[in-house]
Amino acid sequence: MLKPLLDVKNLSVRFGQGEGSFLALDGFELTVAKGETVVLVGESGSGKSISALSMSRLLPSTALIESGSIEFAGSDLLGLPEKAMRNIRGAGIGMVFQEPQSSLNPVMTIGSQIGESLKRHHGLYGKALLERIEELLVLVGISNPKHRCRQYPHEFSGGMKQRVMIAIALAGDPELLIADEPTTALDVTIQAQVLSLMKAIQTNRNMGMIFITHDLAVAYQVADRIIVMKEGKIIEAADREDFYRTPSHEYTRKLFDSIPSWEKRLSENPSADHPAAEKALNVKNLSVSFLGKTSLFSRRSNSMVAVDNVDLELQEGRTLALVGESGSGKTTMAKAILQLIKPSHGSVYYRGDNLCDVSGRQLRRHRGDLQMVFQDPYSSMNPRMLVGAIIKEGMIAQNIGINESERDDRVRRLLLQVGLDPSYALRYPHEFSGGQRQRICIARALAVEPKVLICDEPTSALDVSVQSQILHLLRGLQEELGLTYLFVTHNIGVVAYLAHQVAVMHQGKIVEYGSVDDVLHRPQHVYTRTLLNAVPKIGMSL
Amino acid sequence: MSFVFLTTDVLLFLLIAILLVYGIYALRHEHFFRPWKQVVSKPFSMCAVVVLSFYFLIAILDSVHFHPTIESSSGEDIQHSTRITSVLDLVLGSIIAGTEKTYSAPFSIYAFTKETLVDEDGNMVREYPRLKHAGSHLREPASRLDDILNRSVVGIGKGLTGWIFFCAIIIFMMSRIQKLAIRGIVKKIIRGQSSLSWRTFFLSFGIICVLVGIGLQLCPHYHVLGTDQVGNDILYQALKSARTGLIIGTLTTLVMLPFAIIFGVSAGYFGGWVDDSIQYIYTTLSSIPSVLLIAASALMLDVYLANNSEMFVSVTARADLRLLCLCLILGVTTWTGLCRYLRAETLKLRESAYIDASRAFGAVPWTTIWKHVVPNVMHIVTISIVLDFSGLVLAEAALSYLNIGVDPSMESWGNMINGARLELAREPVVWWSLFAAFIFMFILVLAANIFADAVRDAFDPRLRELN
Repeated sequence: MLKPLLDVKNLSVRFGQGEGSFLALDGFELTVAKGETVVLVGESGSGKSISALSMSRLLPSTALIESGSIEFAGSDLLGLPEKAMRNIRGAGIGMVFQEPQSSLNPVMTIGSQIGESLKRHHGLYGKALLERIEELLVLVGISNPKHRCRQYPHEFSGGMKQRVMIAIALAGDPELLIADEPTTALDVTIQAQVLSLMKAIQTNRNMGMIFITHDLAVAYQVADRIIVMKEGKIIEAADREDFYRTPSHEYTRKLFDSIPSWEKRLSENPSADHPAAEKALNVKNLSVSFLGKTSLFSRRSNSMVAVDNVDLELQEGRTLALVGESGSGKTTMAKAILQLIKPSHGSVYYRGDNLCDVSGRQLRRHRGDLQMVFQDPYSSMNPRMLVGAIIKEGMIAQNIGINESERDDRVRRLLLQVGLDPSYALRYPHEFSGGQRQRICIARALAVEPKVLICDEPTSALDVSVQSQILHLLRGLQEELGLTYLFVTHNIGVVAYLAHQVAVMHQGKIVEYGSVDDVLHRPQHVYTRTLLNAVPKIGMSL
Repeated sequence: MSFVFLTTDVLLFLLIAILLVYGIYALRHEHFFRPWKQVVSKPFSMCAVVVLSFYFLIAILDSVHFHPTIESSSGEDIQHSTRITSVLDLVLGSIIAGTEKTYSAPFSIYAFTKETLVDEDGNMVREYPRLKHAGSHLREPASRLDDILNRSVVGIGKGLTGWIFFCAIIIFMMSRIQKLAIRGIVKKIIRGQSSLSWRTFFLSFGIICVLVGIGLQLCPHYHVLGTDQVGNDILYQALKSARTGLIIGTLTTLVMLPFAIIFGVSAGYFGGWVDDSIQYIYTTLSSIPSVLLIAASALMLDVYLANNSEMFVSVTARADLRLLCLCLILGVTTWTGLCRYLRAETLKLRESAYIDASRAFGAVPWTTIWKHVVPNVMHIVTISIVLDFSGLVLAEAALSYLNIGVDPSMESWGNMINGARLELAREPVVWWSLFAAFIFMFILVLAANIFADAVRDAFDPRLRELN
């Protein structure tokens, strides 16, 4: 057998010392051959990023490599002096990170950032340097490179920045490319483009690639071999076809089962037809535009229209999914319905009142009926309040419950209802995991007995197994309490699993609106079709 | 004795009460308690805490004022003097050697200037006269050094005895609270394994004990730091100045806090015209040179005090009012910095989801601000209070130097420096009053800065995430 490009043996990495320490990586093994793509799959905290960082020796100073060896192109990386390691980084191993936004220096032009690596590893300068930079930009699919290489990162979109990151990684002609969730921060349509670009470049150059992701569908599209990780250990390693045909480990099967989909919905709840129901909330001609900064003495008005003349209808006890890519105005619209952002015109009818022009007091009364669950469970709770006080806040504002002890009772019941221990009321939010926090946020919203719950990407920050629990919880609550959901999401799988109706939003407008079956299986609008085609699916190559 | 409560006394005690309430609140709330515990777990900052507490102890002793009783000959009705003194005066009065005629160097038993004396033979000679109080117990001037050494050794002994006594009490109490054997606790402390930095606490406390012990032995017989132009003991003045410095450092913050918090938070939270007007106010205020503003106010105050001299029972009360006004003026000119920080932080917080959630519940804006914004900017407030403190102590010295600081009759480091600056041109130079003011101020400001650094590290959320 040919000697592999990268050979990691029995690698263990420990974080911290003494009692608080933990093994982030435990007996990790990996080989990558030339031209091969190995995908590391796992949930957050599984150690997949740590493994990537230890291969380029960029671990934080609190981490300690306890045992193991990393052999790359014939040299032992763990034994190399830092100076030699600097030559390996870039020239031997290129890296692409998750956040293109924070990986580029905002005050340097794109060209000079790509040039840094070229100067360092190839000693290029002057005209040769410029030519090579332009070549690289063309390679990653950026047109008009002469002009683009003099621009700054803020002039590039998210997908374009990720292309630039790939160009930087390729600048040193690496033999191995490590990509750590390179498409997680991107929209699905952009993700599809970036994935095919990476795959094409890898095949052309016969590079080895380590691709880290949490998405099994993305993994299918790029992988030759797949390694599943959990809590620092390798759970399963197999070739792509074997892996997807017969996942051998129980944890892997659980991961597959957690992926929300239309099939999963049918298997759990076969009666998919729903008769029309009462109107719960009616949105008419809603527009939101953001003005430029106005002040006492100057009024500039270069406004940006975020939501453009939108009509929606929420039916009682049903779920309306609002689908769209980032920047399409979904979240703005959700907030505008709740009057957290003042709409510029249009109306939101709830129980005969137009929420956009009722008095402050009336609006405050209605607020109990309309609640919201936010995207990021880490920032949606005041870190300095006890969980009990967080849940109680709405009850106090809406005068629910006669006295403290009754409210405390209610807090305990709510915690039980969302599947948490009632004793959690006396803890602080930071003591909980993402999924638990999202449950607390749901309990907080339920505390005021709402009729309509607006969920703004409640599961997008969560791991897939936790996501399926939260979705299950939300569906159960809907059946139990007859809640109406407006579910804002970019995840088509979640839509298929949960929604009754779907509205597809694109650049502030609703481009398609109908029942979930129609929209997902018989899309009419061009944009909807593009969106659905871009969603990575298991069993479908790029 | 009849107690007098000067305005600054009342405010200082109010401040201590607030600190106590905060302390009790912090003990119950883990997220407040944890950073403070981190502050005293580092040796350097523990040392700073001990030094700061010593200064505060002096200031508190100096803030209990009263009219002393006059021994009346009839012995029936008790009469009070119109003079106001403090507990510190009472304590130091019995320790510190009495007033001399004029300058004298540290530990000297002779005056600094020659006088015409009549010697034993009746001749007129120009000589350095012996001091009235310092060294008056010495028969033989040559034995001065031995005497100082002997007394120092006794002082160290006494200091150590006192230290061991206090340590024993504290360790005994610790063993009762933690329910551990005394030996185990002592072992832990000596090895530096206790969770708080108790070893540093005991060491720095020991150094202070020894210094106090030596002081107690030497002060009644020598002017350890010399005397000033009118013969007052410099050490006494330097100790008295601690109160002035601390009052300026703390009360100023107390005055400015409400302005800074209310304006800063409402500017950030409400935005729009509220933000605009508050921004205009503080940009205007901060573009006026503060020394000019302070000088103008101080001069106006002088005129007012001169015209209404009948309002004050004593010079002390007048000086106290002037100190308070200085705090007010400094407070009004320094709130803008903190206000800016708070506005910026609130702008950031306003976008967080929990503020949206609170609004979605229909909570009134001020409830949201009180519950969600203010607790989340408190770390900035804490940090800036501690950071500003040393700056304010130094500002007092600078202002007194310009004659627009505290009342000239009030002891302060600034006044000491101001009084000593002309004497620097003398030959031989009169260095000790400047030196004393410098050392006392330096130690306070250094301790405050170390403490401020530790507080910032402990409360900085970015550093906390790393831990």
